[in-house]
Amino acid sequence: MNLRVLLLGLALAVPLFVVLALGFGHDPRAIDSPLVGKPAPAFALTPLEGGPAVSVASLRGTPVVLNFWATWCVPCQQEHGELQAAARRWRDRARFVGVVYQDRPEAIRAWLTRMGVIGTTLVDVGSQVALAYGVTGVPETFIIGPDGVIAHKFTGPVTAADLDARLSALPGGAL
Amino acid sequence: MLAQLGSALVLAAMGCAMAGTICALAAGRTRSAEAWRWARRGAYGFAACILAATWVMEVALVRHDFGVRYVAQVGSLSTPLHITIVSLWSSLEGSILFWGAILGVYVAVATYANGERDPDVMTWATATWLATATFFCLLLAGPAHPFLPVPSPVPPDGPGPNPLLQNHPLMIIHPPMLYLGYVGMAIPFGHAVGALVAGRLGAAQLQPMRRALLVPWGFLTAGIVLGGWWAYEVLGWGGYWAWDPVENASLLPWLTATTALHAAMLPQRRGAMKAWTLTLVLASYLLTVLGTFMTRSGVFNSVHSFSQSDIGPTILVFLALCTVMSLLLLAARVDRLEGEGDPPAPVSRESAFLLNNLLFVALTFTVLLGTVFPLVVEAVRGTKLSVGEPYFNKMAVPMGVAILFLMGIGPALPWGRPSGARVWETLRAPLAAGGGAALVGAGLGVTAAWPLVTLVAAGIAGWVTLRELRGTISGGRRLLRRTGAYVVHAGVIVMIVAIAISHAYRTDRELELTRGACVAFGGHELCYVGARDVAEPNRTRRVADVKVDGRDALEPALVVYPRMGSPIGSPAVLSTPSHDFYVSLMNLSPDGATAGFHLFRNPLVPWLWVGAGIAALGTVLAAWPVRGAARADGEAA
Repeated sequence: MNLRVLLLGLALAVPLFVVLALGFGHDPRAIDSPLVGKPAPAFALTPLEGGPAVSVASLRGTPVVLNFWATWCVPCQQEHGELQAAARRWRDRARFVGVVYQDRPEAIRAWLTRMGVIGTTLVDVGSQVALAYGVTGVPETFIIGPDGVIAHKFTGPVTAADLDARLSALPGGAL
Repeated sequence: MLAQLGSALVLAAMGCAMAGTICALAAGRTRSAEAWRWARRGAYGFAACILAATWVMEVALVRHDFGVRYVAQVGSLSTPLHITIVSLWSSLEGSILFWGAILGVYVAVATYANGERDPDVMTWATATWLATATFFCLLLAGPAHPFLPVPSPVPPDGPGPNPLLQNHPLMIIHPPMLYLGYVGMAIPFGHAVGALVAGRLGAAQLQPMRRALLVPWGFLTAGIVLGGWWAYEVLGWGGYWAWDPVENASLLPWLTATTALHAAMLPQRRGAMKAWTLTLVLASYLLTVLGTFMTRSGVFNSVHSFSQSDIGPTILVFLALCTVMSLLLLAARVDRLEGEGDPPAPVSRESAFLLNNLLFVALTFTVLLGTVFPLVVEAVRGTKLSVGEPYFNKMAVPMGVAILFLMGIGPALPWGRPSGARVWETLRAPLAAGGGAALVGAGLGVTAAWPLVTLVAAGIAGWVTLRELRGTISGGRRLLRRTGAYVVHAGVIVMIVAIAISHAYRTDRELELTRGACVAFGGHELCYVGARDVAEPNRTRRVADVKVDGRDALEPALVVYPRMGSPIGSPAVLSTPSHDFYVSLMNLSPDGATAGFHLFRNPLVPWLWVGAGIAALGTVLAAWPVRGAARADGEAA
């Protein structure tokens, strides 16, 4: 056994492995949304079920869970149950608003019939709202405080526990 | 139904690979012919099962069976059939399955080609291949399971594969080429492990190992070049290489494999540097595993990365195991392998080889350091940072030029201990050619230092390569490998000159044109004729029709895929022998009245692809099976 060769090899390899292993858990693309701490960009969209347009101004006063999703998105399907659970728990104290991204109203209706409706569903025609919120993919979820300021952004599917934690952290938002 | 069948086939493949590994290990220890026969059957069984599993996935994709999770992730009813077929490798799980299928083909071919010869080496090689296969089956059965069923209800349609994958035919062949390069490195790795365990690296082991290395090396080269070509044709920034972590990941094993192909000449000629050659072969494989980790762990930020996934830790553990095993084997055998060769004369072909090896390894470390450095900084200081082109260019250009010099000087120098007069005689003409090339370049307007130095080196290397080629071609089939090697050199020289000149003398301009307006740039006149929308089943192309020099119509476009936020550019290129005129459409007003363009004049870029074609031809010649060529091929590099 040539120990020199072994030690030299380990001296090269071990630091590399340590660095690579330390890289886990950091999302290299996780750049905090510049919108966090800023007033939520304005929009006004007609709900899928009809009725008056929903705007940021009309949502003021209650915490809002603004969820961007689409019927063609598998992770959205996975997070749907979690959103449902959170929406039940926060029924009177938070509004759950879904913004459907790049989709057709018929497909959305069929999907909601199958999966269950949560809160208010808005259709983002021309992806204007998604652009304003800097959405890079679905699902993405914004927590907006009662003051209309964005408190947090989730990229990817959320869990009910995540939502509970973030909503509870809002001023006066204990479960 | 297809989901269950696929899962069962993956498990069967794992069973075959595992049983085969055990039999091969037993055969290696006990020399049992029966055990070895079963190990080889295991190899064929693994190949058959994993290929069948891949076939099942293709059937699921083509039938749009959205009950299979992978199909629900990447399939779409509106995707054309050929894109649906290749979406097998458009996302993580499918690409690992495809990886397994390629490994199956390699393992089966290598098992068949090596027959029952050299059992004390090849049993260990077979065990290594099948252990690798077992690992990939484990990934497929666990963290990267492509056949998981979708939680009901089954979605009626899917999003379709990544639009970038759909946007250019090169995307259909670039990934398979890279995979063939990456996966194939497992085969020479097995040969090297076998040679180390047996403590023997003679011609009988070197020849098959070198061939096994040459094949994936050729695919890796093709994959890297095709990736650059794809980036150039699709991404619209006018370049072909960005030193992105994943591009670097493919370059690292290429560098060590290239070094290994050259290092393998020395034990063949002199019986020296055996452990070094094996180290390079081992490193090439370990670096492909590192590359796999970099693309698939979510630790590196790159346009090429697959999404965050759980397979990162598994691959890292595998990489660590392979590294430790390689180091232990090397440490145990290095003293037994080395012969007592004399140190080479300072000016000789041996020295040139050594220097070439050192430069390549230094370049490998430079690229590795630049790639990993952002992770080090984040681990130590918690801040994000990226190492960009300036670092890589500053470090890589001098080393690349030095390698080009050696590509000329090395093959010109005689083996052994040549006299000064002999050295001068053989180098006189190439040096004159180098000076001539620089003068011609200067006459054509090349005035910057590095491009001129590159031209000198290219002139020397070009002269020597052509001189050697004249000799080897007259040797006919017997010298086919050497001919092939020098043809590769010729292609690489063309490529390096094209890279140096295109990099130093590229010009670009961004501008906005109204309909009917013209602009002069880079010796061409470009007129914006008008815009039109072309509706296709899976996308809409917003084309800006332009006319170059009043005759050539180009169609740069913005391509809009439904369910994808921003449009993808689709640049148009007019190639001439001296340069590319590259038109990238940046924006288009809704009525088409104005269009924003980014224009590039990229000198010599067409020669980059020509050079790559020449190199590919050379690789085919060098790998061509020729009886009786083995003894003649010791000198080509």
